[in-house]
Amino acid sequence: MKFIIQRDQLIESVQNVMKAISSRTTIPILTGMKIEASEEGIKLTGSDSDISIESFIPQEEDGIVYVEHIEPGSIVLQAKYFPDIVRKLPQKTVEIESDNNRNVTIRSGNAEFHLNGQDPEEYPQLPQLHTEDSFELPIDLLKNLIRQTVFAVSTSETRPILTGVHVKMEDGELEFIATDSHRLASRKIPLEQPEGKALPSVVIPGKSLTELNKILDDSEDTIEVSVTENQVLFRTKHLYFLSRLLDGNYPETSRLIPEQSKTIVKIDAKELLQSVDRASLLAKENRNNVVRLITKENNHLEITGNSPEVGNVVEEVLASDVDGEDLKISFSAKYMMDALKAVDYDQVKVEFTGAMRPFLIRPVDDDQILQLILPVRTY
Amino acid sequence: MIVSKWYPKNGRVIFHVDMNSFYASVEMAFDPSLKGKPLAIAGNPEERKGIVVTSSYEARKYGVKTTMPLFEARRLCPDLIVMRPNFERYRTASKEMFKILADVTDTIQPVSIDEGYMDVTSCAEQGSPPEIAERIQQRVYEELDLPCSIGIAPNKFLAKMASDMKKPMGITILRKRDLSNKLWPLPIGEMYGVGEKTAEKLKKLDIETIGDLANRPVLDLKRLLGINGERLQNRANGIDDRPVDPDAVHEFKSIGTSTTLAQDTTDDAEVRTVLRRLSKKVEARMQSKEVLARNVQLMIRYHDRKTVTRSKQLSEFIQHADDLFNVAIQLFDQHWNQVPVRLLGVTATDLAEKSEVTQQLDLFNYEEYAGKEKLYKAIDDLTEKYGHNPFKKLSSPKDAQVTTSFQKDFLDDFKKE
Repeated sequence: MKFIIQRDQLIESVQNVMKAISSRTTIPILTGMKIEASEEGIKLTGSDSDISIESFIPQEEDGIVYVEHIEPGSIVLQAKYFPDIVRKLPQKTVEIESDNNRNVTIRSGNAEFHLNGQDPEEYPQLPQLHTEDSFELPIDLLKNLIRQTVFAVSTSETRPILTGVHVKMEDGELEFIATDSHRLASRKIPLEQPEGKALPSVVIPGKSLTELNKILDDSEDTIEVSVTENQVLFRTKHLYFLSRLLDGNYPETSRLIPEQSKTIVKIDAKELLQSVDRASLLAKENRNNVVRLITKENNHLEITGNSPEVGNVVEEVLASDVDGEDLKISFSAKYMMDALKAVDYDQVKVEFTGAMRPFLIRPVDDDQILQLILPVRTY
Repeated sequence: MIVSKWYPKNGRVIFHVDMNSFYASVEMAFDPSLKGKPLAIAGNPEERKGIVVTSSYEARKYGVKTTMPLFEARRLCPDLIVMRPNFERYRTASKEMFKILADVTDTIQPVSIDEGYMDVTSCAEQGSPPEIAERIQQRVYEELDLPCSIGIAPNKFLAKMASDMKKPMGITILRKRDLSNKLWPLPIGEMYGVGEKTAEKLKKLDIETIGDLANRPVLDLKRLLGINGERLQNRANGIDDRPVDPDAVHEFKSIGTSTTLAQDTTDDAEVRTVLRRLSKKVEARMQSKEVLARNVQLMIRYHDRKTVTRSKQLSEFIQHADDLFNVAIQLFDQHWNQVPVRLLGVTATDLAEKSEVTQQLDLFNYEEYAGKEKLYKAIDDLTEKYGHNPFKKLSSPKDAQVTTSFQKDFLDDFKKE
């Protein structure tokens, strides 16, 4: 195998594929990165058996040549050293060559590295997904769906299913839902379903979506999502991202979302976010930073933070509108800030049903985004 | 302000008052016929788990030491008189002792039932520090019939080291200029803050005395002991700016209790029974202190005295015996190696006062609390009206007597005075 490749293209692909490679894997060969050269271009593969990523660098695209002098072949390289080597090479182009004894030479300018490669035949075949259960959506939109929900997945393994994002398609809508049981994030988009078919609803590990979101560049191009019983595949022109699905039943969350509310606050999201941020400043390290919200006269809210040993902070914020019963409620500052950032609208509507019940944060006039937070009980 | 050679302008004068073999001395004050006789206070004289808690100086002459098994103490000293501890007596004596200290200054920091620090920097009117110390020692001796040693120094560490230098009934002054001849020759193991393990480590670096520690490049120590290495070296050089903090009494770090089993056991059911009992004890003490815990630690000592402690950090604060027990038994199931167990201990750590603790409600169980929403709101409103929670006393009967072997519980009594 031999080829000469543009270094910048190689760096980007290597970095993408590295997202799937873990030094802690039970299958030794998976600590390596597979490199395959063909007349069409170069394919890099990484996998930790939960996530597998293939990144393809075409020989040429739109008249720009990325790879030259290709002699087809393949090899597996130690992923521990390869990315750093590539990043620090001196020239714009890199020559990679392997001989019959799997000795690999990497040349750039006057620098020459020799690495021992591994047998590509030992590298597991990525499963080929055969499914007709697939749909397409713009990459931008997918990134938004992920960003607005994935932060709410559980980080604790006590209920493994909650470490994933529930993706379901119903009634012409695609919905992403995540909850760690203390808060819930949901985002819907209208999606045209393939004629007469119901796509299965699945739970994708939060970690997979976080990595996918890092790899995908903001773009209006589309990405194809295919679903089987235990795997999901995201495919763009040059990227193939395969993730295992979480096994088990995702709890039914729709009934947990209150339908009526007793106190409704409409407010500028940024102002609320900043005042909650200030109120949480005095929270002690590694304690829940709890802030308290109290409705006052004339559309005012009082936001307070209190840390007995440090001090306290009080701030009055003017809401656009406060309607309904008086309310005193305590909640995690972090959850509130996460939710407000995810909603990403200027004006939000916060709907409370009582001091011990979940409350909702939504854009004032958009029902597609929903954030739900459970309050905190003070003793 | 009186400036004298005793009261430096920029410095402090700290006392460390240390009662000499406190439990034994209290028993002798109670029953003077015991005076001059070898006496040991031990956990449980009938059972084999009896361990010497403290002993009189007469018993120490025979080699009887604290934590020594009773049978061994009896072998060394056949005439040994053994008594069970009378915590009520010690508690009363301790209270009286701290009252005498409080006549000198309010700046007192009790560290356990039988020792405490005092800051007498602003007590110049009452005399020189040695005069004040002598007066305290005399009063404790005459009024309570109890011996004590007092260390006088510019900081807490040196005062503590000083009180240890002459026992019983000693008064020792340790100035910074005395370090090289009074403190540095001492073996490293006698330094306050250096335990057995640390001493072993230091000896590997050829640090045998406190002086060796004081003069060692600080980097070596940091590499060996981390930040504590630097702290210990500062102490060895007589540097310690911790204040005498009367409020430190309330900063408890853990609440725990342990018990030696009547017989070594591999019986799962018995372990469960014991852990349940220990958990209940810990719960009671947490309740009386109005704290919650976020970490539970289990101690298992095996028949060969090999001891393991394992702990679990929790995401939520807990307060009930059931919760403590569940964590403890989970730890036991995970870590027990099937070998006969001699002792079990349960300790709650990462404590926080109830008033500071909050509970994050959960989507799948909030309804339990939501049902009581009206009640909470009523309490809230009344709290606002009266300035305090009128129901609080109901749930936490402060006067309930909690039996415990935890020495620091005494300190609460001192604070309540």
